[in-house]
Amino acid sequence: MSYVLKRLGRSFLTIFVVVSASFGLIRLLPGGPLDYLRAQMIQQGGSDLSTAEINRRIAAQTNIAVDEPVYVQYIDYMTAIFRGDFGQSIWYDQSVAGVIGPAIPWTVFLTATALFLAFTVGVSLGAFMAYKEGSTFDVGSTGVGLVLNSTPGYVVALLFIAFLGYRLQLFPTGGRYASELTPGLNVPFLASVLYHGTLPILSMAIVAFGGWALSMRGNSIRVLGEDYLRVARLRGLPTRRIALRYVARNAILPMYTGLMIAIGTVFGGAVIIENIFAYPGIGFYLIQAINARDSPLMMGAFILITVAMVIGITVADLTYGWLDPRAKGGASRESY
Amino acid sequence: MPRDSQTERRGAHDPIIEVRNASVTYDLEYRDAMVLDDVSIDLRRGEILGVVGESGSGKSMLANAMMDAVEEPGITTGEIRYYPERGSEPVNILDLSDEELRSLRWEEISMVFQGALSSFNPTMTVRGHFEETLDAHDYDVEEGMERARELLEDLYLDPDRVLDSYSHELSGGMSQRALIALSLVLEPQVLLMDEPTAALDLLMQRSILSLLDDIKEKYNLSILFITHDLPLVSGLADRLAILYAFELAEVGPSEQVVRNSQHPYTRALLRAVPSLDAPLETMRPIPGSAPNPANTPNGCHYAPRCPLATDECHEETPPWFDTADDQRTACFNHDDAGDAVPLELEVVES
Amino acid sequence: MSEFERMAEVSMTNAERRRQWLDEAVLAPARIVWDDWRARAGLLVVVTYLLLGTVGPLFVSEPKPNQGPLLVGAFRTLEYPLGTTASGTNILSQIVHATPSMLVMITAGAVFTVVLGTAIGTLAGYKGGQTDSVLMTVTDIMMTVPGLPLTIVLATALQIKGNPAVIGVLITINAWAGLARAIRSQVLTIRDDEYVEASRIMGMSTPTIVAGDIIPNLMPYITMNFVQQARAVIFGSVGLYFLGVLPYNKVNWGVMMNAAVNRAGATSSPSAFHWLLMPMLTIIVLALGLTLLAQGADRIFNPRVRARHAKSVASGDGDTPNTGDI
Ligand code: SF4
Repeated sequence: MSYVLKRLGRSFLTIFVVVSASFGLIRLLPGGPLDYLRAQMIQQGGSDLSTAEINRRIAAQTNIAVDEPVYVQYIDYMTAIFRGDFGQSIWYDQSVAGVIGPAIPWTVFLTATALFLAFTVGVSLGAFMAYKEGSTFDVGSTGVGLVLNSTPGYVVALLFIAFLGYRLQLFPTGGRYASELTPGLNVPFLASVLYHGTLPILSMAIVAFGGWALSMRGNSIRVLGEDYLRVARLRGLPTRRIALRYVARNAILPMYTGLMIAIGTVFGGAVIIENIFAYPGIGFYLIQAINARDSPLMMGAFILITVAMVIGITVADLTYGWLDPRAKGGASRESY
Repeated sequence: MPRDSQTERRGAHDPIIEVRNASVTYDLEYRDAMVLDDVSIDLRRGEILGVVGESGSGKSMLANAMMDAVEEPGITTGEIRYYPERGSEPVNILDLSDEELRSLRWEEISMVFQGALSSFNPTMTVRGHFEETLDAHDYDVEEGMERARELLEDLYLDPDRVLDSYSHELSGGMSQRALIALSLVLEPQVLLMDEPTAALDLLMQRSILSLLDDIKEKYNLSILFITHDLPLVSGLADRLAILYAFELAEVGPSEQVVRNSQHPYTRALLRAVPSLDAPLETMRPIPGSAPNPANTPNGCHYAPRCPLATDECHEETPPWFDTADDQRTACFNHDDAGDAVPLELEVVES
Repeated sequence: MSEFERMAEVSMTNAERRRQWLDEAVLAPARIVWDDWRARAGLLVVVTYLLLGTVGPLFVSEPKPNQGPLLVGAFRTLEYPLGTTASGTNILSQIVHATPSMLVMITAGAVFTVVLGTAIGTLAGYKGGQTDSVLMTVTDIMMTVPGLPLTIVLATALQIKGNPAVIGVLITINAWAGLARAIRSQVLTIRDDEYVEASRIMGMSTPTIVAGDIIPNLMPYITMNFVQQARAVIFGSVGLYFLGVLPYNKVNWGVMMNAAVNRAGATSSPSAFHWLLMPMLTIIVLALGLTLLAQGADRIFNPRVRARHAKSVASGDGDTPNTGDI
C-alpha cells in the first residue's frame, strides 16, 4: 500500500516539476514565448493598445499576469493549470483545453493500441523463437527483427502512406474517421475509426515488436536454462503451467525498463506519426502550435502529453509491482 | 565387458535402487564424452549412502541417472531397478514411459539440488510450489499442505512465515530446508541429494545434516547424499562410494573407508581434505588434474595421477576386489595402498 | 562483472592493472567483435559512414540547384546515381554533404548521454544514501518526461540556432536518465565485490575506486549504450527535421525528406518518391549498422550471454567448481 502511495506521489511530483518548468520556460527566458507573444500583439493591434491592455491579454492567454511579482505569477499559473485551465490558443481562438481535450483520447487510442500490439506480438514471437532456438525460423526472425529495430516509425509511415494510401488506395491517408459519420457507439463509426487508425498504429507497432521479440527471445533462453525450470519439470508440472507461470512470467518481468522506455518512445513517435497522417491528436496540435507560434497551445499540448505519459508509466509501474514480488521494496527492482 | 555385475550381492541386503552398469554419454560432434562410466551400486533400503567425488567426477550424473533425469543430449544406458517394497517386482526406471516417469519422480524418488535459491521460481511463493506439486500429482492439496507444514516444522522452520515468502526473502539455510520439505511433500521413499549444503556456511551445513538423520527415521527414507566434502558426509552416511573420473573407485561402510581405505585415490582424498584438527603439513593436495570426459585414460582412470600405477594399470581396467567385509575396491595394487599413501588416522574425526 | 577482473589481484601495480585492463576490456573484445559477423558488418557500415562524413565531401560536389535535370530517378544515370530533386539538385551530393553535421550531432548526443548517465549513475550507486535518493528522484522525473516533445518545446522556447552539436544534445536531453538508472544498479552490485571492498579497505579515495575498479567494469555496458544513443539521435533528429520543427543551417537527411514530401508530394507522386526514399535508406542502413554493432557487442559483453555460453560448455556435470582447490 505504501508502495502505491509512494509511487503516486512520485508521479504527482513529476507533473508538478514539468508544469513548473514550463512556467519557467514561458516566463523567464528572454526572447522566449512571452516576448514573442507581446511583439505579436503589438504588431496586430498597432500602437492603439496600451501596455496594460497587452498585459491583460497576455494574462488571459497564458495565465501569467506579467505585472505581478514572479511568485504570484507562478502560483496563479500553477493553480490555473491544475484546475485544467491552460489558457487561450492564439491560432484557434478558443481555450487550449477546448482544442486539446478532444484530441487526448485519440492519441491514447493510437499509442496504447500500438504499444499493446507490439508487445503481445513481440513477446509471443520471441517466446516461440526461443523455443525453436537455432532453427531457420529463429534465424530469419532475428534478422527481420534487427532490420525493423533499425527503422524509425515515420519511415514505415511514409512508405505505408505512399504505397497503401496513395498508390493502392487501400487505406485513407489522413483523418481520424470518415467525415460523414456521426461519432458514437455505432458500428460504421467504430469501423471507420479502426480503418483510419490502422496505418498510424501499424507504423508504430511494426518498428517496435522486433525489439520486444529479440529481448523476449534472449530472456526466455536464459530462463529455460535456470535451475528452477529443471526442478519444475522434475516435479512433473504440466507443460502449460511451466510455459506460463515459469518461463513467460520470468522472461517478461525483466523487460520492465524496456517498457518504461517504450512508453516514452511511443509518445514521442506519435507526435511525428500524427503529423504524417494528419491525425488530430495531441502531437498533431503540438506541431500546429509550433508552426503557428502559438505558445499557450504548445505548452498545453506538452503538459498534456507528459501527463498522459506519466499516467501510462504509473500504471505500468504499479502493475509491475503487483506482478513481481521482488519489486515490493520499490527501488530494488532494477537490481537484477 | 560388465565388470562388476556380481559384486553387489542380492539378498544379503535389501536394495531399494539397484544401479547396474550405468553409463551416461554425450554424443559430441567430434567424439563421445562419457560422464558416467559403467557404474554399479545399490542404494539399500533405509540407509544413507554418501557419494563422494571431486567436481566433474560424474557424481551428479549418477543421481540424475537414478531418476532418469539426465538432460538432453545425454544418453543413459545400463539398468536402474527400483524396488518399491522389499522383494517386490523391480521397476526398470530407464524403460518407463514419460507418464510413468512423471509419477515416479517426486512421488517415489525425489531430489534436492544444490543452490536452493535457484531451485525456486523467484516470482512465486514457497506455498505456490507446494500446492502446484500436489496438484500436478493429483494429491489432495489440503491434506498435502498439512504434511508440508509438519515437514517444515520438523526442519525447524516457521511454516506460516516460510510458506508466504518468496525464495529471495529466505536465507540460504532456510530455503535449503524449505527445498528439502518440498522434495518430501509427496512422501517419496528415496531422496537424492545433490550437494545440498554446498552453498551454506559450515554451521548451517552441520545443522542441516543433523536434521537429516531424524527426517530419515521419521519418514522412512533411503538417502543418496552427493558431496565433494568427505569429512562432512563420513559422519552421516552409513556407507560411502568414492567416485573418480566417472567411475567408482571404492565402496564400503563409512567407518571402514575412512579408517582403512584400500584405494590410493580415496587415501589421497582423505589426506587432501581440510580438517580442523589436521596438522597443516599433513594436508597434501593431489597432484595433477582429473581427466576430461571426452578423453579418459584407457586403463584405470586414476593411473596418470596414481603413485602406484603400473603398466597394467595404464592398460586394463582394474576389477573389483573384496578388500574387507562389505568393502570393495577397484585397484590392482590395493594391498600396497596403505603403505604408499599413509594417513594421519586421527585426522578424520567425525 | 567479469570473472577476469574479479580475479585481478589487488596487489598488482596500477600500471599492470591498466595493461591488463587494456587487454581485457579493449583488445580481447575487439578480437571477438571481429569474429562475430554481425559486429563485423556493423563496423564496416559505421566506418563507411565515417569516411563519407570526413573525406566524402572532398570527392562529391556541393549540392546546388540545377546541377542536372529535374527529378531524375535513382539509379538511372551515372552522373546522378541517386537521382535529382525537383530543383535539379544532385541527391547524392545532398546526402554526402549532410553527413558531417549528422555525425557531429550523433556524437554530441551520444557523448552527452553517456557521460552524464555514467556520472550520475555511478555517483548515486557508489555514494548511496541522501545523494542517491536525490539523484534518483531527479532521474525518475526525467525518465517520465516524453523526450521528443520536450526537445521540440525546448528548441522552440530557447530559440536555438542550427548548431548540430547543440541539437544532438537537445535530442537526447533526457536519455541519460535511463542509462543512469541502469548504471546505478550495476554499480550497486559491483560495489560490494571483494576487490572493490579491498580497495576501500586499503584507503583508496572514492574517485580512484570509481575510476580504477568500477568504470572499467561498466565499459562494455557503456559502449553498448553509446551505440544505442547514436541510433536514437539519428531517429529523433531526422524525424524532427522532417517535421520542420528544428532550425538548420545546411541541408540534411530530415530536411531532404521534408522537402520531398512538401514540395514534390513524394508520398503521392511516384516520380518524386526516390527523393524521399534515398535519405530514408541512408538512415536505415546506418541504424542497422549501429544495431548490428550493438548486438555483436552485446553477445560478447553481456555477462548473461557469456555465462550461458560458458555454462553450455561445462554442462557435463552440475557440480560446483569450488572443489578444484581441495
Ligand atoms: S589400479 Fe593402479 S592406477 Fe588405479 S588406483 Fe590402483 S594402483 Fe593406482
